[in-house]
Amino acid sequence: MSLAVNAELVVKEFGSIRALDGLSFQIKSGEIYGLIGPNGAGKTTMLRIISTLLLPTSGIVKVFGQNVEKKAAEVRKVITYLPEEAGAYRNLSGWEYLEFMAKFNTKNPEKTKQVINEAAKISGLNERLKDRAKTYSKGMKRRLLVARALMTKPKLAILDEPASGLDVLHAYYVREIIKNYVKSHNVTVLLSSHNMLEVEYLCNRIALLNKGKIMVEGSPQSLKTKYECENLEEVFAKVVGYA
Amino acid sequence: MLRGFGAILVKELKELIRDPKILIGMIVLPLLMFPVLGLVLGYAVETAQEQAQQATLLVVNNDGGNWSQTFIDYLNNIGLKITVENNLTPQQIIDQGLLIQNNSTQFIEIPSGFSNNMSQHTSGNFEVFAMINSYGVFSGGGVFSDIGSSAITSIINSFNRIIAPNVLFTTQSTIIKGEIQEGIDPATLSGLMISQALALPITIMIMLTYSMQIAATSVAMEKEEKTLETLLTMPVDRFAILMGKLSSTIIVAGVAAITVLIGYNFMLSSVTIGIPTQTSIDLVSLGLVPSPFGYILLGISLFITLLSALALAVIMSAFAEDVRGAQSLIGYTYPIIFIPSLALIYLDFNTLPIALKAILYAIPYSHPVIASKVVVLGDYTTVILGIIYVAAFTVVIMYIASRLFATEKILTAKLRFKRKKTGN
Repeated sequence: MSLAVNAELVVKEFGSIRALDGLSFQIKSGEIYGLIGPNGAGKTTMLRIISTLLLPTSGIVKVFGQNVEKKAAEVRKVITYLPEEAGAYRNLSGWEYLEFMAKFNTKNPEKTKQVINEAAKISGLNERLKDRAKTYSKGMKRRLLVARALMTKPKLAILDEPASGLDVLHAYYVREIIKNYVKSHNVTVLLSSHNMLEVEYLCNRIALLNKGKIMVEGSPQSLKTKYECENLEEVFAKVVGYA
Repeated sequence: MLRGFGAILVKELKELIRDPKILIGMIVLPLLMFPVLGLVLGYAVETAQEQAQQATLLVVNNDGGNWSQTFIDYLNNIGLKITVENNLTPQQIIDQGLLIQNNSTQFIEIPSGFSNNMSQHTSGNFEVFAMINSYGVFSGGGVFSDIGSSAITSIINSFNRIIAPNVLFTTQSTIIKGEIQEGIDPATLSGLMISQALALPITIMIMLTYSMQIAATSVAMEKEEKTLETLLTMPVDRFAILMGKLSSTIIVAGVAAITVLIGYNFMLSSVTIGIPTQTSIDLVSLGLVPSPFGYILLGISLFITLLSALALAVIMSAFAEDVRGAQSLIGYTYPIIFIPSLALIYLDFNTLPIALKAILYAIPYSHPVIASKVVVLGDYTTVILGIIYVAAFTVVIMYIASRLFATEKILTAKLRFKRKKTGN
């Protein structure tokens, strides 16, 4: 199976602070892979490097064989990125926002319409898409943005805390979208989260990050078995020596 | 007493005072800017006075009698640097380039019959007066540019007091673009041109600062609303993002530039109409409004300067985290916009020392103001050179802006005043 992401010894420094300290991992095509860890572990920094927003200080990251540093434009054609605190343009309607984003991927008006219809279906926002984004609740906005990230059927969707801060129902909706969409469209997903239940429910494999390093990697089930824990929270506490 | 008012006031003050951008923008900059403006203003008056005192006064003696010699001796005795020419018409003075040769901007003519009239008056025939014809070159200078002609009037008055009251009168004429405009006092014309000298620089200042705020806000808003990161990961050329943002502001700025010119043209026409007919001065017939080509050059100068200001605003906004931060940062550019404009209102650009001229030329935002002054006098070379300079400056700024958008700096760049901060 081909590799969607191949990260080798990735280091990222911000001045004197080392945010990533020699991270290496691979994501297979079609997988849902999770980076999990506490705040400040380096999850977002890693996602931003894979998304071509930041450059690694050292190390190599390839997305479907393309170097994110040297072939950033090519990488951007096959990925979508959903930042943790992303917003939508306040004065555009949901529909206009999706149209604006869709036009970066296709110039064909017919195709653009198909893509937006797909997004409308994913978001489930129906008539509310005609309203301006500033009138949306946090949950509605997140659904719109998740739909934007998936509507073009990207080869790799990078989702930073996709359900963070959402109420139970909106979080459930977003997780269902991700799980079902990947199955039906063969999209690879890399997500970050500090919600262990979410990760356990969604991911095929996970990497536990702490202070810029991968502590352990494997499927949620294999890690629970290995560390003799009931859930991933306990695994994480054991791995970092908290329990 | 409003409940909680004190606590909110203290908290707000703490937040404002602890933000170094606000502290610098609202307190430090005005403290620096106004003394600088004061110096410029003082310098303007001093320069104009020195110019008037030190300039060589060209005296054309078309009389050749005793009284004309007495008058010339008087001018010498009060310490004026004078050069005397004999038997030349005023137009010949201009055509032979004698003003330029003597580095002078004004001359007086002692007309034929001067000594005869003086003799008659001093012999008791008080109905006869002697005339001195004064000519000043209109240079489109600053507010104090009429000091030279005022100095001549006061010299004539003091000569009157010595000889006899009111024996000598002056006629004032202005030389505009090498043509003598008889009976037009440079001081009156200068007063008339003040409206022009003030209006355009002030409008340019407002337009530049306002459109820079718009441009800076458009990038800062993307940061504040957290939409920039998403946009930067889309399959779109980063330069296209920059150009898209700039172009929308340029369209608004272009409309603004045209509006300014229309308003400016209307203002000049209004000034012409508003002149009392007895003074026979109107700016259009004196050729003191820009030609169509002049308007085009002025428009290009305005537009290109706006473009460079907008690109600079975009760069600066990259260093801000939100809209308030971007607006505070833009405030730092105000001195380099305000000082040249205000200085050029008061100063005659032609009389400035080379060093000061170089500083004003180096600031791109001076050029539309300089253009507005010189274009009236038909000096298109200065305007075109200014446009080329600002265009080159704009290319450099655009290059820096495009580099900023092409790298992670657009997300990570921050203006740091204290300790460094890093995010995950």
